[in-house]
Amino acid sequence: MNRLNIEKIHEDRMEVEVFDENSNICVRFKGDIDMEDPGVFLDPFFNQLHEGMIAQKIKEVKADFKELNFLNSSGIKAVAKWIMKLTELSDAEKYTIRILYNRDITWQVTSLPTLNFLVPGVVKVE
Amino acid sequence: MSVNNTSVRDGYIELKFGPRWKYIACVRGFIQNFLAISIVDQSKADKIAMAASELLENAVKYASKDDTHIVIKVSPATEQIQILVVNTADQESIDTLLTIYKKISEGDALQVYVTQMKEAALRSDGKSHLGLARIRYETGGDLKVDVHNREVQVSIAIG
Repeated sequence: MNRLNIEKIHEDRMEVEVFDENSNICVRFKGDIDMEDPGVFLDPFFNQLHEGMIAQKIKEVKADFKELNFLNSSGIKAVAKWIMKLTELSDAEKYTIRILYNRDITWQVTSLPTLNFLVPGVVKVE
Repeated sequence: MSVNNTSVRDGYIELKFGPRWKYIACVRGFIQNFLAISIVDQSKADKIAMAASELLENAVKYASKDDTHIVIKVSPATEQIQILVVNTADQESIDTLLTIYKKISEGDALQVYVTQMKEAALRSDGKSHLGLARIRYETGGDLKVDVHNREVQVSIAIG
């Protein structure tokens, strides 16, 4: 179990798992997120992640999408909702989200870098 | 766009299915395989499969009858692909669709997409209203919505 005590999500063809990575956190997304409302699973997950990052004063989370084959627009909404939470934080509470994407998956190349525009300065896409 | 406009040199497939969410992933996979034998550009094939999937999600979510269908037309000479998704919806859903379409059709596609993402993040009703803006930005294609009575036709042409 990771230090935030967040359990792995395995729903339909989607897997999301949290790992400790030195002093930071890594979230790995796998499979396909294409259910009708992925927010049912992802919103509570991101809430728990966000609260844990603040409570434990962790300064960086790596969001690794490299093994995610498909993400529908409702899934993008859930990710955007998480990122937008950073606007509510003070500078002392803020953490950085590093988004890792797969250059061989077309939607990742076009869509994931746009997340950088939601809250400039706190999201790094690489 | 209509299949009737298809010349003998063009190829097309048409799939008709009862609006079940689980079928969308199957259709997306089928389209990717169909395009793999029809066009060379893998990136274009991926964009079309994404666009088809998003349009079908909308069609299935708002369908009021079991008549959702999709037509994919390929013009080999130009490698232009056209997708047409047709369904029947109630007036409230049609009005919402037309409002979104009007909003996302003008201005810089990236700016519109980012604005829609920010607005989607504030929604708590389980809807994103993000699909059309995503399709426009990610495919760079020509998106059109036509409504005849309660029949909704959404099409996109990708060159």
